[in-house]
Amino acid sequence: MLSKDIEKAKSIIMNYDGPPIKIMEVCGTHTHEIFKLGIRNILPNNINLISGPGCPVCVTPTEFIDEAIYLALEKNITICTFGDLIRVPGTSSSLGDARSKGANIQMVYSPLDSVEYAINHPEQQVVFLSVGFETTTPASCIAVRNAKNIELKNFSILGANKTMYQAYLALKDAADAYIYPGHVCTMTGMSELYKLRDEENVSGAVTGFSASEILSSLAYIISETQKNKPFVANLYPRVVTEEGLIKAKTLVENTMESCDSIWRGLGIIEKSGMKLKKEYIDYDARAKYDIPKIVGKPNKGCKCGEVLRGDIKPFECPLFSKGCTPEHPIGACMVSNEGACSAYYKYGENLWKKN
Amino acid sequence: MCVGLSARVDKIKNGMAVVDASGVKREISTELIENLYPGDYVMVHAGIAIAKISSTDEDEVNKIMETIKDAK
Ligand code: SF4
Repeated sequence: MLSKDIEKAKSIIMNYDGPPIKIMEVCGTHTHEIFKLGIRNILPNNINLISGPGCPVCVTPTEFIDEAIYLALEKNITICTFGDLIRVPGTSSSLGDARSKGANIQMVYSPLDSVEYAINHPEQQVVFLSVGFETTTPASCIAVRNAKNIELKNFSILGANKTMYQAYLALKDAADAYIYPGHVCTMTGMSELYKLRDEENVSGAVTGFSASEILSSLAYIISETQKNKPFVANLYPRVVTEEGLIKAKTLVENTMESCDSIWRGLGIIEKSGMKLKKEYIDYDARAKYDIPKIVGKPNKGCKCGEVLRGDIKPFECPLFSKGCTPEHPIGACMVSNEGACSAYYKYGENLWKKN
Repeated sequence: MCVGLSARVDKIKNGMAVVDASGVKREISTELIENLYPGDYVMVHAGIAIAKISSTDEDEVNKIMETIKDAK
């Protein structure tokens, strides 16, 4: 019975009294759900949950927003974007600010919607802001391929797609185990996680998003960590398969290739990005519009980098709740629902008000 | 932006499907998923199906808790 399993998982978590364990939930949706479900409130002091870099909005660098604003205001281009990006601060303003200056910013739910928009508005040049990890990248590839198939001339993407493998590696010393992002793993499958375990001693569990899945995964990680041997497990097999989504991998390989990528707060991580291949260069907004090299300047006071690396908790940033709130975000981590700062602000009052 | 939604497939045609996510109907791409039929459940993200859902979380969680018990 589910409730019996949940009780058992809870008791393993709450009664843990061994050496301190650091667990990083990589995915922003996990951060959000863990807060919403109140799981942080039942954790003993020796279990430290760290929120990792797995919110694409949070790791999108300042210069990406600056490039999008340049296209919107200087080149008069219609920007189609996931809603979260609209309020992310660039160096001096956000896309929302650009909109109030007359820029045409359209919110879309899917990259495919932005192709539709371009088809229906042939008089406009349309650029889709292509952010996201393995889960989202195939949708951008389908959009570009479809656009090329019909020789759509008024559509391109501004790319900032990222892959998680190198980020897992870059942050491997920040925690004893990862709660791996379930929906990234639907695409990648398990092989790269086995490689991390076998070659880099990185541990973790692929986890779903329901309360029972998160609790049982935490219980599993706690019990495995005590064996002092690297481990990895797929605890979300109803959605994640061993081999991942082959068709998605092939699609992405045919459309994009790997490149270095800047992560907000973490800097450049080699080979952690994806960009369009030469065959698709007409759909690459950077090539199409000759965007000048922009060096973004994030707000100096913002500690998003430390937050994303798990070095500090959001409330340890001096601006948290004092100047930086979900209504007036200073850094990206306060913007998206999946951002650690926003999750702490919305649900973690008992954690930061006492500090 | 990263939320995955589970949805039931209502109709499929040419790699696109109409799905029902808790009463909300939407057209999505299903070209990445093989052997999909009306009535199946899929995980939807950014307008595409990213996985077929094979069961509820109950069995899954039961197995996880069994593993932990075996380990002790
Ligand atoms: S509280 Fe605001 S300023 Fe501080 S790290 Fe988070 S997003 Fe940046």
